[in-house]
Amino acid sequence: MRNLLRCSFVSVAVMALCTVSALCQAAPRLPGELAWAIRYDPKTFDPAKVDEQASELVRYLTAGVLVRLNRQTQELEPQLAESYSISQQGTLIVFKLRQGLRFSDGATLTSADVAWSIRRVLAPATQALVAEEFISPSDVTVDTPDKLTVRVHLPKRVIGVGKLFDWIAIEPANRPSEGRVTSGPFTVAEYKRGQYVRLKRNPNYWRRDGTGAQLPYATGVRMDVLNNREQEIALFLRGEFDLIDGLPADYFGLLKQKAPQSTRDLGASLNTEQLWFNQSSVAALPDFEKAWFTNRGFRVAVSEAIRRADLARIAYDGHATPAYGFISPANTIWHNNNLKYPHESATDAARMLEASGFRRSGSLLWDGSGHPVKFSILTNAGNAARQKMAAMIQQDLASLGMQVTVVTLDFPTLIERLMHKQDYEACLLGTINAEPDPSSMMNMWQSSSPNHQWNPSEKTPATEWEAEIDKQMQAQASNPIQNARKAAMDRVQQIVADQQPFIYLVYPNVLQAVSPQLRGVQPAILSPGLVWNIESLRRQEGAR
Amino acid sequence: MKERIPVVLLLLLILAAVLTLLLTQHGYAFQDRDAIMAPTSAQHLAGTDELGRDRMVRVAAALLIGLTGATAAAAITTLIATCFGLLAAFSPRLVAIVLLFVSDLFLSLPWLFLLMMARSLLPLTATPMETAVITFLVLAVLGWPACARAIYRGAVQLRSAEWMIQGHACGLKTRQLVRLHLLPHLQSLFLPQFLVCVPAFIVAEANLGALGLGVGEPMPSWGSMLLELDNSALLARSHWVYLPIVLLVAVLLILESLTSKVETNA
Repeated sequence: MRNLLRCSFVSVAVMALCTVSALCQAAPRLPGELAWAIRYDPKTFDPAKVDEQASELVRYLTAGVLVRLNRQTQELEPQLAESYSISQQGTLIVFKLRQGLRFSDGATLTSADVAWSIRRVLAPATQALVAEEFISPSDVTVDTPDKLTVRVHLPKRVIGVGKLFDWIAIEPANRPSEGRVTSGPFTVAEYKRGQYVRLKRNPNYWRRDGTGAQLPYATGVRMDVLNNREQEIALFLRGEFDLIDGLPADYFGLLKQKAPQSTRDLGASLNTEQLWFNQSSVAALPDFEKAWFTNRGFRVAVSEAIRRADLARIAYDGHATPAYGFISPANTIWHNNNLKYPHESATDAARMLEASGFRRSGSLLWDGSGHPVKFSILTNAGNAARQKMAAMIQQDLASLGMQVTVVTLDFPTLIERLMHKQDYEACLLGTINAEPDPSSMMNMWQSSSPNHQWNPSEKTPATEWEAEIDKQMQAQASNPIQNARKAAMDRVQQIVADQQPFIYLVYPNVLQAVSPQLRGVQPAILSPGLVWNIESLRRQEGAR
Repeated sequence: MKERIPVVLLLLLILAAVLTLLLTQHGYAFQDRDAIMAPTSAQHLAGTDELGRDRMVRVAAALLIGLTGATAAAAITTLIATCFGLLAAFSPRLVAIVLLFVSDLFLSLPWLFLLMMARSLLPLTATPMETAVITFLVLAVLGWPACARAIYRGAVQLRSAEWMIQGHACGLKTRQLVRLHLLPHLQSLFLPQFLVCVPAFIVAEANLGALGLGVGEPMPSWGSMLLELDNSALLARSHWVYLPIVLLVAVLLILESLTSKVETNA
């Protein structure tokens, strides 16, 4: 046993040494190369098959696309396509390609390559996530009347179809290369698993700046695989990294002290942090707990008891905005400015619980059938802000007599419980909204969707209000008139605020760090926030 | 006199912790949301943590919870180990071999992973107190084999002692011999084994807590408090963040010193 104790001391010392030595490591930077960290290894370099953030970023940096969403103006801009048009019925899209386009290996890029790339993405065998957005991908046809024209025929109108082509990489026909041969600004040059991904400049990239200089300016990009904020910040301060996108709030303050000119707070993001109760009828929960969670009064009371301003101030060090709906005020087009939501008041919450059949006895709250109100909130380990929020909610709900336990689990275990076993009572997690248009949120709000988290994969809507959400979401997804779409989304926001299936907590701010040596940065809220204009970024040696 | 120093130091620490908890206005879980990471003041002697909870109160509670839990777990482990060691020493050879094999099997298991597995199987709604009790119980149940080996060796040595043979010759049964003569002789072995277990269990709980598998929040424990050291942003804001690790090391050194002295005397 004593050996055990000594082993523990030794292991701590060894770990400390490893940490110190790891801090000194970073792959060498090549001249003119940009560098930053990514959390995990990309799962794939095949641009048609990406389904997570790291692969998505590699695709963004390497893929040539027909059109690209400007992350600042949120408007589509022509890229490989010189122009495009959508028919009045919305079922025909015609792209006109630029003259003289070439792939990174020198081969000519023609409409045949574009048609092949689109068909590949739409093919069921590819299982591309973007294919689902075409509603009926198997019925989409592509033809090429000439070498510079591509026509895409849709079986029916798809709202916001243009932006879908921002996600389709144009590759050489019949020669998928996993990013080695591309029509975008960079190509994949080197990948060392668990260490780094290195991209090099595409010498044949079509784009030039105002003076006629070839873009991109940077000779390459090195993305180190590093899931340690401490090391990432140390390497940033040493000038090994040029930027950090998505800084946690607690590290933002530290970095602001050490390098005040480098930090940027862009205000509320499109992302949300929320708490929800398991309302699934197949959940392995006692009936009385299911009765609490499906009780609107219970959910509203919980929402009223949570002091969101404290969550934003304490858990996020002030770098977050209290949230009452699923569309952030940063999303100016779709946010419902007239939203009516439950106001924070412990007294109102207690009154609401009483009206819903709960009673307070001593320090505990009891339901009508004599069960004490006790439940657990799951959240993922390693996210300090979420753990703090959970601890604060625990105290807020204790004032109502609810006995809450907070359980942190590693992410895979948490997802297993949420998505597969339905074995949880309440959960605190976040949603990353990559784009402002609500058509991208269909899979979260449609009651039949497996991502309809509070009650997934419903055969028919379990409640009238869920049926109403389904109807309004369908309406916004099929109606081409913007005002009608906005009205439908306002209604959905109001239903969610009334029913509180998700109890929204905060919109975390977009926090970034940029090296003073990096030029051309135009920070954006939309992902990839700091590198969306990668072609224009360059490192100026010696600048401070 | 020197032998008493660790005991006195430990008692002083316990007394200080008890007084801190008795004199505090609020409990260890109370969040003073207007005093986040507050510096030292008359109200908060060691300032507050990121949720506005009094750091001194939490450290005092963690010290008492850690010591109480580890002491209880060490007592249970010593009891299990004693039963196991004596059973193996006085059983027929074949049974003894099987028992010792079981003990070796336990020793060869990756105990930390086993602890993590056992702890993660707990129901999600377990209250912080239940998690504390179960954590230390799991430590006790998994920590006995090393002690059992030592007690087995001691018992085997005494088994062939002259006074044992004389006892047998006088007609005493094995059970009577063990109770009346063997256990008093083994006392000098039990105490060091027990004392060695206490710091080991404190460290084990701290390891589990640092992995998020120890005592549940908001109940403070060494492990959960040491987690703060993982965040350099916090370290830069207050030196009081180091208080738990300083106290933990002090407690471990005191216990080590106490064990050494008891072993020397034995």
